[in-house]
Amino acid sequence: MNPDVVLAIPALVESGALPPAAAPRLLRVARGELVSVHAELRALLYAGVLLLTAGVGLLVRQNLDRIGPVAVAAALGLAAAAALAWVARVAPPFSWQEVASPNLAFDYILLLGILLVAADLAYCEVQLGLPASQRQWHLLIVAGLAGLAAFRFDSRVAFSLALGTFAAWRGVALADAATSRAWDTAGAWRWNAIACGILFAGLGLGLAHWRRKAHFEPVAVHLGCLLALGGIAVGMEDPAWGAALLLAGAALAGVAYRTRRFPLFAYGVVAAYAGLTRLLAEISHDAALGCLWFGASSAAVIAGLLAAHRRMKEPA
Amino acid sequence: MTPELGRADRAAAVRAAARSWRRAGIVDDAALAAVESAFPDDRVRAGPVFRVLLFLFTIVAASGLLGFLAVGLGSHAGALATLAAVAGVALLALTEVQVGALRRRQGGTEAATSLLGIGLLLAAAAWFLLDARSLGAAAAVPALCLLAAALAGAAAWRWGYPLYAALATAAAFVALAHLPAGRAAWIALPLAAAPALLRLSESPRLPPAHRSSAMAVLLVALGGLYLAVHAGSWEVRLVERIGGRDPGPMPQMLPASAASAASLAPLAPGHGGLPWWSAMAATALVPVLLLAGGLRRRRLPLLLAGIVAAVVSLATFQQYLRLGPAWLVLTAAGALWIAAVLGSWRWLDSGPAGERHGFTAAPLLTDARRQAALEAGVTVLTLQPAAPAAATERPFEGGGGRSGGAGATGEF
Repeated sequence: MNPDVVLAIPALVESGALPPAAAPRLLRVARGELVSVHAELRALLYAGVLLLTAGVGLLVRQNLDRIGPVAVAAALGLAAAAALAWVARVAPPFSWQEVASPNLAFDYILLLGILLVAADLAYCEVQLGLPASQRQWHLLIVAGLAGLAAFRFDSRVAFSLALGTFAAWRGVALADAATSRAWDTAGAWRWNAIACGILFAGLGLGLAHWRRKAHFEPVAVHLGCLLALGGIAVGMEDPAWGAALLLAGAALAGVAYRTRRFPLFAYGVVAAYAGLTRLLAEISHDAALGCLWFGASSAAVIAGLLAAHRRMKEPA
Repeated sequence: MTPELGRADRAAAVRAAARSWRRAGIVDDAALAAVESAFPDDRVRAGPVFRVLLFLFTIVAASGLLGFLAVGLGSHAGALATLAAVAGVALLALTEVQVGALRRRQGGTEAATSLLGIGLLLAAAAWFLLDARSLGAAAAVPALCLLAAALAGAAAWRWGYPLYAALATAAAFVALAHLPAGRAAWIALPLAAAPALLRLSESPRLPPAHRSSAMAVLLVALGGLYLAVHAGSWEVRLVERIGGRDPGPMPQMLPASAASAASLAPLAPGHGGLPWWSAMAATALVPVLLLAGGLRRRRLPLLLAGIVAAVVSLATFQQYLRLGPAWLVLTAAGALWIAAVLGSWRWLDSGPAGERHGFTAAPLLTDARRQAALEAGVTVLTLQPAAPAAATERPFEGGGGRSGGAGATGEF
C-alpha cells in the first residue's frame, strides 16, 4: 500500500508519463488491492526444504536400527527421485544463456532433490563402511552434482550450494589431514581459502567472458572475493599478511571502482582499511594514538567515499 | 519531521515505484525520466552499499575521536559521563544539521550520528542514575528505558527512522514490565492500540517514514502481546523477569505428562489446569488472528508476523504436548509446509488473471535481480550437506539445514 503513489498515478497518466492502459493495475497495487506474494512463497518454500531435510537427517540418525538400511536408503532415494523427476519434467531445454524459471517452486524442489540425494549418498557411504578418511570425497561429489544441476537447470541457488560445498570439502579434507598427521593446518587452511577464492572468482570471470551462464558470475565472484580476503585476513597476526590484505583490498576496490561493482568496492575498502590498520598497529601500541588513528583515518575514508560516490553514482 | 523532508520522502516513494515499473517493463526509460523530473529529488542520498560503508566509518570515526578524548580525561567516571552527554547532544545536533541544512537522506552518516548520539546520552544517563545518584537497578532501569523510549521515539518522529520507532516501543515495553500489572499492560495496550496503528500505517496524511514507523510499532507491540500470552513465557515468568522481579528459579520445561502443577511457582499456570490450557489456547490464537488480519487487510508484514508466530507456536506445542518424535514432526511439518506453499501457489495461479482475493503469486513489481542475489547469498550462508562421519566416531547425520557458511564443517 502506497498512498503517495495512488495520488501520483492519475497525474502521471494526465501528463503522458504513464500509459493509461497500465494505470488501473498499478493503482490496484498501490492501493494494496493487489498484493504479490511471490517472494514470500519462495522464502516459505526454502524454509520448508530446510525443515524437511533437517527432519530426514534426524529420521536417519534416530531410526537406523528400527527401520533398516535398505528401507532408509530406498525411501530417501525415492523421495529424491520424485523431486528430481518433477524438475526434469518441467525444466526448459538447456541453454548456455539465462533461462526463465518455469515456475515459482522450481529452484527449491531442485534444491530439495539435491539435498535428499546427498543425504542418501552419505547414508549409503556409512552403511558400506567407507573409511572415515575417504568420506571427505562425499562433499566433492555433492558439489559436482549440485554444479551439474545448476548448469543444466539454470539455478543460481544450486550453483551457490555447489560452491559452498566445494569450499567445505577443502575445509573437511584439511581437518581430516590434521587429525591423522597432527600438523598445524592454519597455513594450509589460509592458502586453501585463498586458492578457493581465486578459483571461484576466476570461474565467475570465465563464465562471463565466454558468455556461458554469465549470470552466475556475481555468485562466484562475490563468494570468491570473500573467501580470498577472509583467508588473507585470518593470517593477520603476521604483519606481512596485513600488507597482503591492504594490497588485495586496494586492488579489488580499484577494479570495482572502475567497473562500478558496488559490493566488491565495499569489500575492497574494508579489507584495505583493516590491512592498513594492522600495519600501523606494528608501529605504536599507544591507546590514545590508536583512537586518534581510528578517528582521523575513518574521517579520511568518509571523505574518500563521498568523493567516490559522486563519481560512481550508485542508485539510492 | 519537517514538511520538506516529508515531501522529499513522498517524492522518493513515487520515484521508487516508477523504477519498479521500469524493471517490470510497464514503462520505458523516457517515462521513468518524466516521473523523475515530475518528482525531483532535493536530497543528498547514497546507494545501499555506500550507505552501509558511510554508516560504519562514521561510527568508527566518532568512536575513535571520543576514545581519544576519553583517554585524555583519564578514569574519572563523572568527566567521562559529561563527555558522553556533551558528545551525545552534539551528535544529535549534527544529525539535525545533516537532515536539515545539508539535506542528507539515506546517506548513512546521519543515521550513524543519530544512533551514537542516542547511545551516548543513554550512557551518560546510566552513569547519572546508577553512579551519581546511587539508584538501584530496580529504579534506574525503568527510568533508562523510558528515556530510551523518549529519545528513540523523538528521533523516529523527527527524522523518520522506523527502526527507532521499533526500539522505542521495545524500550517502553521493558519499562511497563516493571509495573505490578506489567503482563496485563503487555496484553491490553497492543490490543487497544492495534486498530489505530494499522490505520496510521495506511494513512495518506502521514509521510512514508511515519507510516512505516506505525507498522514497526505495531509489529513490536504484537510481539509483546504474543510474549505475554505465550505458554512458555507464563511458565518461566518471562515478563516478570524482564521487569526485574525475581519469581524464583527457572522451572524445567517439561511435557504435560511429566510436570506436576505443584512444582510450579504461583505466577505460572499449572500444567493441565484451566489457566495452562488458556495460555496454550492463546499461544495458538495469536498467530491465527495475525494471519487473519494480514489476509483481510492484505498487509504482508502482518502475514509474515503471523507465519513466524505460527512456527513458534508449533514448536511450543511440540515442546509441551509432544506431538510426536522430533524427526516425524520436522519431516511432516516440512512436507506439509512445502505442500501448503505449492497448493497456495497453484490456487492463486489458477484464479482469474492469476489472482484471488487480491493476492497473486506472480512477481508483479519484484526486483528479480536483487531477489536472485539474496537467495543465492542465503543458500551459501545457511545450507550445505554435511560430510558423513565414521560410524565408530558418532552416528550418521543426514544432510541439510546446517548453518555456518561455506566452511561450516571445515575451518574457512
